[in-house]
Amino acid sequence: MKPVLSVEIAGVKFNNPIMTASGCSGYGEELADIYPLSILGALVTKTITPEPREGHPPPRTAETDSGMLNAIGLANVGIERFVSEKIPFLKKQTTKIIVNVGGKTIKEYVELCARLNDQDCIDMIELNLGCPNVSEGGMQFGSDPKMTERVLKEAIAVCSIPIIAKLTPNVTDVRVTARAAEQGGASALSLINTLVGMSVDHETWQSRLTFNRGGLSGPAVKPVALAQVDAVYSAVKIPIIGIGGISNYADVIEFLLVGATAVQIGTALFVEPDAPILIMRELSAYMKRKKISHVTDMIGKIRKF
Amino acid sequence: MIKPVRILSKVLRHRKLEDNYYSLTFGDYKAASKCKPGHFIHLKLPESNLYFRRAMSVASADAEKQELEIIFKAIGRGTKQLAQFKKNDPIDILGPLGNCFTKPAKKETVVIIAGGVGYPPLAYFATELVKSGFPAKQIHFFYGGRTSSEIVDRPRIKKLGVNFHPVTDDGSFGEKGLVTQSVEKFIQANDDLKSKLYACGPEPMLKACDDLGMKYKLPGQLSLEAPMPCGIGVCLGCIVKLRDDGYVRVCKDGPVFEIGEVLL
Ligand SMILES: Cc1cc2nc3c(=O)[nH]c(=O)nc-3n(C[C@H](O)[C@H](O)[C@H](O)COP(=O)(O)OP(=O)(O)OC[C@H]3O[C@@H](n4cnc5c(N)ncnc54)[C@H](O)[C@@H]3O)c2cc1C
Ligand SMILES: Cc1cc2nc3c(=O)[nH]c(=O)nc-3n(C[C@H](O)[C@H](O)[C@H](O)COP(=O)(O)O)c2cc1C
Ligand code: FES
Repeated sequence: MKPVLSVEIAGVKFNNPIMTASGCSGYGEELADIYPLSILGALVTKTITPEPREGHPPPRTAETDSGMLNAIGLANVGIERFVSEKIPFLKKQTTKIIVNVGGKTIKEYVELCARLNDQDCIDMIELNLGCPNVSEGGMQFGSDPKMTERVLKEAIAVCSIPIIAKLTPNVTDVRVTARAAEQGGASALSLINTLVGMSVDHETWQSRLTFNRGGLSGPAVKPVALAQVDAVYSAVKIPIIGIGGISNYADVIEFLLVGATAVQIGTALFVEPDAPILIMRELSAYMKRKKISHVTDMIGKIRKF
Repeated sequence: MIKPVRILSKVLRHRKLEDNYYSLTFGDYKAASKCKPGHFIHLKLPESNLYFRRAMSVASADAEKQELEIIFKAIGRGTKQLAQFKKNDPIDILGPLGNCFTKPAKKETVVIIAGGVGYPPLAYFATELVKSGFPAKQIHFFYGGRTSSEIVDRPRIKKLGVNFHPVTDDGSFGEKGLVTQSVEKFIQANDDLKSKLYACGPEPMLKACDDLGMKYKLPGQLSLEAPMPCGIGVCLGCIVKLRDDGYVRVCKDGPVFEIGEVLL
């Protein structure tokens, strides 16, 4: 029998649990040159902000051991150009579309959600809570549980599209913000975003990023991401989308076992843009071998000591 | 727009050129017919904690034999690994990527300016031009390096029959000085010619070429380099600033840009 890969989150049915991660698949056009996007469970767009953003000056990425740092600075076309230039392409896709948004104030998040609510091809919205909150002195939204709850409540009030809260891992206890997001009405949680890091050249004494700080991602962060998903799984009832260093089918299974319903693949796409295809094939083979009929049968089934 | 493919190819030939320079030819490369001068490929390194692929310009491609050649200098961690590849080793290639050089008009004099590891895409460009019937004598191939051993692959340039102008910092081969100084002298001495510049090399050299193009009102193209996490345009890591405003991606919008287009 053919293993069933489909999963459901907030009433949205995904053909399989493999999604791309925000900022790692643009607005879909480039990947569509390599394979049909229909093979993905969902495409997640780059974070969209109210105004277009150039991002930070280069160098804004650095290779690290088993991963990378990025300080792209949320470069994106802005909501209006997104709607006029990118939505027509996304509309033609049969895969599920998740639009990631970010703002500097609660009002900006709310306006972005309201604007997207008019579009008929968006299956879910993902709030990037790793954005600095200017009215609260630049602290990330996602590190303040009260702000997290409020931004979700206000966004949901203007938007009927189900909302995912993307949590930042740069907090003392991720369960606190996870519960706040659930309280605020999030349909699902996604984690982790990148971990704060930096890189220095010992020869030239030069920081490798103009922004000095960057976000760490790739295989290097997987153990941290697994621990955070595991912690959140026991703290909330809403579905979790696992992110962090996922490169192959084994990584996907590990995230399912600690409680993820679906996963997103980010940095691995840079090295293997076709990773989702290989993962899907190998995931099916694994399930056949293990006689697992549905991917959801693995969710949260880790055997702990 | 070119559609990149990921192909498992294998090393067919491994040649040490000079010093730290190597030529690797890959076989079973089914996308060879799609390669054009200016394109690059992204190579996956063998299993290691080095994470990114490494970008290499196509130095030659043979559609019939399904072969593709790169020429590189082993300078860092990744290129040193590439130098260790042996005949028949499998290699994972993503490509071809990027845009390509545009052909000159029939009457134009082609001034090629290669600096160090900027040589391979220009050697490919000159070879294809000559193959297409463009007169070799109308091509001036300036090739700069620090010292004689940095002017690699000379038999190939000689065989092409183009005007070869080697330039070294220390004068150990060809003219002594900076390659862009030699080019400027050439431009001044031949101001009746309608020339087009094509350059690839280290950034200061490209900046000087950009300045030359603007100063003498010569059109031309520059092939740029930037660290490339993805090579396919999705990460926004490899950007350069446009003179007008805003950033463009070297991997997807380039690597070839017009003189005067980007801020170097
Ligand atoms: C489009 C393009 C075409 C290229 N073609 C050639 C070629 O034909 N022959 C050749 O010898 N080299 C070429 N290069 C440069 C080559 O990719 C770099 O020398 C190489 O990435 C350095 O890798 P490394 O691991 O040896 O060095 P490391 O310094 O150990 O690499 C560390 C990181 O920095 C990046 N990096 C460091 N220096 C450069 C640089 N100058 N340019 C781009 N990325 C850099 C690497 O990609 C890597 O991510 C090209 C680069 C680009 C972008
Ligand atoms: C270059 C780059 C850009 C990113 N941009 C965004 C972004 O715009 N919005 C966002 O929510 N996350 C962004 N991320 C974070 C990823 O979506 C993901 O959460 C993180 O990289 C961990 O997953 P990974 O290890 O699979 O990459 C970015 C990551 C990278 C590497
Ligand atoms: S290397 Fe990723 S956009 Fe160019």
